[in-house]
Amino acid sequence: MIAMLRSEWMKLRRSIVWVVVLIPAILVFAVGWLSGMAEGGGSWRDLLAVVSVVHALLFLPLLVSVLTAFVCRYEHQSGGWKQLLALPVSRYVVYTAKLTMVALLLALIQLLILAALLITGIWQGYAGAIPWGALFASVLGGWAACLPLAALQLFAAMWLQSFAAPVAIGTFFTLPNMLVINSKDFAPYYPWAQPTLAMMPGEQSMSFSAFGIASGTLPIVILVSFVVFYLIGWSYFSRKSV
Amino acid sequence: MLRVLSTEWLKIRRKWIWFLVVLGPLGAVGLQVVNYGLRYDYLMALYADDLWHGLTRNVNIMMLPAMFIGLAILASLTAGIEHQTNAWKQTLALPVSRSSVFVAKFVLTALLLFVSSTLIIIFTIIFGWLLGLEMSPPMTTLLQAAYYPYLAIMPFVALHTGLSTIIANQAVPMTIGIVNMMLATFSLWMPYWMPWIWPHLDNRYDEPLYSVLAGIVTGGLVLLTSLVVFVRKDVR
Repeated sequence: MIAMLRSEWMKLRRSIVWVVVLIPAILVFAVGWLSGMAEGGGSWRDLLAVVSVVHALLFLPLLVSVLTAFVCRYEHQSGGWKQLLALPVSRYVVYTAKLTMVALLLALIQLLILAALLITGIWQGYAGAIPWGALFASVLGGWAACLPLAALQLFAAMWLQSFAAPVAIGTFFTLPNMLVINSKDFAPYYPWAQPTLAMMPGEQSMSFSAFGIASGTLPIVILVSFVVFYLIGWSYFSRKSV
Repeated sequence: MLRVLSTEWLKIRRKWIWFLVVLGPLGAVGLQVVNYGLRYDYLMALYADDLWHGLTRNVNIMMLPAMFIGLAILASLTAGIEHQTNAWKQTLALPVSRSSVFVAKFVLTALLLFVSSTLIIIFTIIFGWLLGLEMSPPMTTLLQAAYYPYLAIMPFVALHTGLSTIIANQAVPMTIGIVNMMLATFSLWMPYWMPWIWPHLDNRYDEPLYSVLAGIVTGGLVLLTSLVVFVRKDVR
């Protein structure tokens, strides 16, 4: 498994993926900076609320589809699947290593977001202490909420040879977020809306002793959709003819 | 030129691409079916004075972001055939000029997006009738709502034709397409000279045609620039 991860890592080193990973943080920084300017001094809470919409509503779920397509790119070119699966590794290890790689890239995105949030807040001199708990809960929750989407997109990316096709599938499910997020009845059950819900600061104060994600239906929906999508992808890949 | 275009046509026949061309508009209008289904009374009361206009505006909310990513996907798919099979050498070795190959790719992407825009109108009308709106829809409003943004978005169609053909790694154009969609969605704070705001048809003179004109002119310039880069590029 470790060896497989290392081989995945070598495919990504010196690729454009690092630029892709950096873009959300730049965007968040720009948006945070602008929104702080506009309202004459923002707050951590406002910043987090803006970021959970700007970053997590459309951008993050769409980037999941780009990143998953990215880790399958080399295999789709010139018979790479044959070469990879001819190695003495089980398909399960290949599948899990790719998913792990995507999860790591997403974690990096979220860490950079955290850095962007901190820089914005400290630079603009928000009142009060830095709400570490809230920031970590938001960033971590957004990451966890992306994992089911990553599992489903990995299925699409392994199935479809073209890079744009899995992104099209991701778009088809992500754009409805713009409407779904307004619905209190449907949003908690729609997997693509989970990143926004998970990143949104809680209704209560900014103390955030409890993780925002640890309440209500959110973790259940995330867990169940992850298991379902993972099994769909895995059962497809274990039978895929290459 | 027409013959080059017909070979491009052959390449995408019986491919997924047609499915996407229909799926996009179907999704955009389909979401409104759900939206109206859930909030029928509220929406009908909100737009009571002009129901067709209200429906068109709601469809447009989904249409613009879908167009921004859709054009990137279409451009990537039309150029993708050569990248995937490493066939740029073969395509360009044919006795046709490089610029006609490039322009054919652009025209194809623009045509596919045109089909999608047209389908948006048709689906909107069908849904409007199903909702029981008056039988004669305001065609001018509907046509403008679909085709004005289509023309104003031309700089991005040209840009993505360039990016998708020049750069082999399709992750780059796809990411740029998504970033463009983000910028366009949150673009209302932008100054009017920025192209991301043009498809919203919002400009300081309150005349949508200025946005359309800016889109066509800039689109031409971007197309010309990408063409020059493509023609001078070395292919693998």
